[in-house]
Amino acid sequence: MAVFPSREWVEAVLEAAEKSEKHKEAAKDWEGDFLCMIGGDAEFLRDLSRREVMEGFMGFMDMMPVEARKKYKGTPMGNVFEKNLGVSLNASIKELNVGEMLDKTSKLSTADLKGASLYFWADFWHGSVRAMKPVPPGEHEDAAFKLSGTYSTWKMMVSGKQDTIRLVMSNKLKLEGDMSYIVGHMKAVVSLTKEVFAGVPID
Amino acid sequence: MYFEIDPKVREDKGLSLLREETHRFAEGVMRPAAERLDKMSNPEDVIAKDSPYWDVLKQAKKLGYHRVFIDPDHGGLGVSAIEAHIILEELGWGSVGLATAIGVDQIAPAVASLFAMGDVLENLVKPWVEDTEAKYHGCWGVTEPECGSDYIMACEESFLPHVKELHPGEVRADEDGDGWVINGPKSGWISSAPAATHVGLHVTLPPHDSLANGAFCVVPLEQEGVTKGKPIDKLGLRDDPQGDIVFNNVHIPDDYMIIRPPFYEFRIGQIICVTSCFMGTVFTGLARAAFEEALQYSKNRVQGGKPLCEHQLIKQKLYKMFEKVESSRYYTRKIMEHVWEKIYIEKTYDASSRHALSAQIYGKRAAFEVAHEALQIFGGYGLTKDFLIEKLFRDARAGLIEDGTTEVLGLAAAYNIVQEY
Repeated sequence: MAVFPSREWVEAVLEAAEKSEKHKEAAKDWEGDFLCMIGGDAEFLRDLSRREVMEGFMGFMDMMPVEARKKYKGTPMGNVFEKNLGVSLNASIKELNVGEMLDKTSKLSTADLKGASLYFWADFWHGSVRAMKPVPPGEHEDAAFKLSGTYSTWKMMVSGKQDTIRLVMSNKLKLEGDMSYIVGHMKAVVSLTKEVFAGVPID
Repeated sequence: MYFEIDPKVREDKGLSLLREETHRFAEGVMRPAAERLDKMSNPEDVIAKDSPYWDVLKQAKKLGYHRVFIDPDHGGLGVSAIEAHIILEELGWGSVGLATAIGVDQIAPAVASLFAMGDVLENLVKPWVEDTEAKYHGCWGVTEPECGSDYIMACEESFLPHVKELHPGEVRADEDGDGWVINGPKSGWISSAPAATHVGLHVTLPPHDSLANGAFCVVPLEQEGVTKGKPIDKLGLRDDPQGDIVFNNVHIPDDYMIIRPPFYEFRIGQIICVTSCFMGTVFTGLARAAFEEALQYSKNRVQGGKPLCEHQLIKQKLYKMFEKVESSRYYTRKIMEHVWEKIYIEKTYDASSRHALSAQIYGKRAAFEVAHEALQIFGGYGLTKDFLIEKLFRDARAGLIEDGTTEVLGLAAAYNIVQEY
């Protein structure tokens, strides 16, 4: 079980993609990176109140160099860190007092998360995942595709509980980019959820 | 019963039982009801409360035929492509008109079961699949007074570069608070519309400049602002009540908007792939029915001192009819297997539209050609109301137009062939 999103989750996804012959075959022609936006919501707040999720999430943020992390300053997500949780974006995440953060999280409401978004970038290439990492706002804006949705929607997708197509159809996930390319590579899209993401159980 | 050439199917006892069970329903329930409905001089009687139309629907729902196309994860029957094909051929053998009513009934819940999320699954799909009393009855709202065949072309992805040359559509949906408001007319050819409680509806979205900029939604019809027309009087498929629907500020919640941009533009044709397999197969059933009627008649009717079937001219006709029925069965079945895999198993929604469209055209054309030859074998008696072949011929003729004329279906397939082959 891995926390989504966390360093462990990213590593497990990379490993699952590497091991999956089915995905390699289904996505052998795919070339295109995704800028992904995860919007904070009530479920995010609920999950964050659990120590293992908070630790996993902070580990995910720690994948970003301090200079990149600082770019969240002044954004709704940056404000959650600095104003609500009292965590400086310059701070060494390993030295943070998780207990204190959990205490502060318990005082947050969903209104505090309004507009708060976390970004990550994933580069899918011929059946492999060449890169997957958290990024600051404004980076990789030129990605071939942009996928955005709330934290709870992302969990539905990466857990394999809902297929990506249904989430996009119902407007829960917003997809921007060359749709004719997507529909021409539906096998790759379906396989990414079924064979890669769903192969990594999340907590 | 016909001889099944595919040993995998022939030797499977489950499939044989399925065919026998469906055939009993087609012969014992659909045929007598279709005969009565066809002879009703007032089309409104077809959908009257005490009409056999409702008896057929209720029994079809009790047997689960209204769940063939529903996603098994949401209450669908969970049949294989071959099982679906067997069911549909038998239903078409019983009556293409009533089979169409059973088919279009499923479009709204089937599309919702495949693509929707939220309340619509609980509030619509679940009670629909559990319904055995025909409390729910669906229709499929595509054609409009100003754009009939336009919609067939707009659903073909290879035609998209030309879609703006077509009519931009008359039924429009606009955002309205947390839902949608719908306005405009659908034409009089909507199968089951006069009897339906819900419609799976094609609409355009702002700025309403193209049929491709559209969406598929589900609209409950028993609400203010909906006007359902009377069933039209027509040549064939008289047991399939058709009529128009007009929407005047009709509201639906957001989760009833099932397929929207960007997927509508590129993937709405996948619905046509499924319905084309349906049409090709039920018309194969009609072709078989016509062939069997003619074969039986030719064995009984004596002319020139011997049964008709002993005349070489008639033998030749019977052979040609047999060949068409058999080829139509195995062609439509093979394409059904392909479409089933893409829609219900892999869920990649990338079925080959040129094949699916050709299954529909092939099945319809086979039905018309076989019914035409069959009627010829009946001679003058074939023109009378005393024999089933007269109805089958009229139904087969109507099939060349219903659900897209064979010409336009072929044109849509041709765009795909030129671009993708």
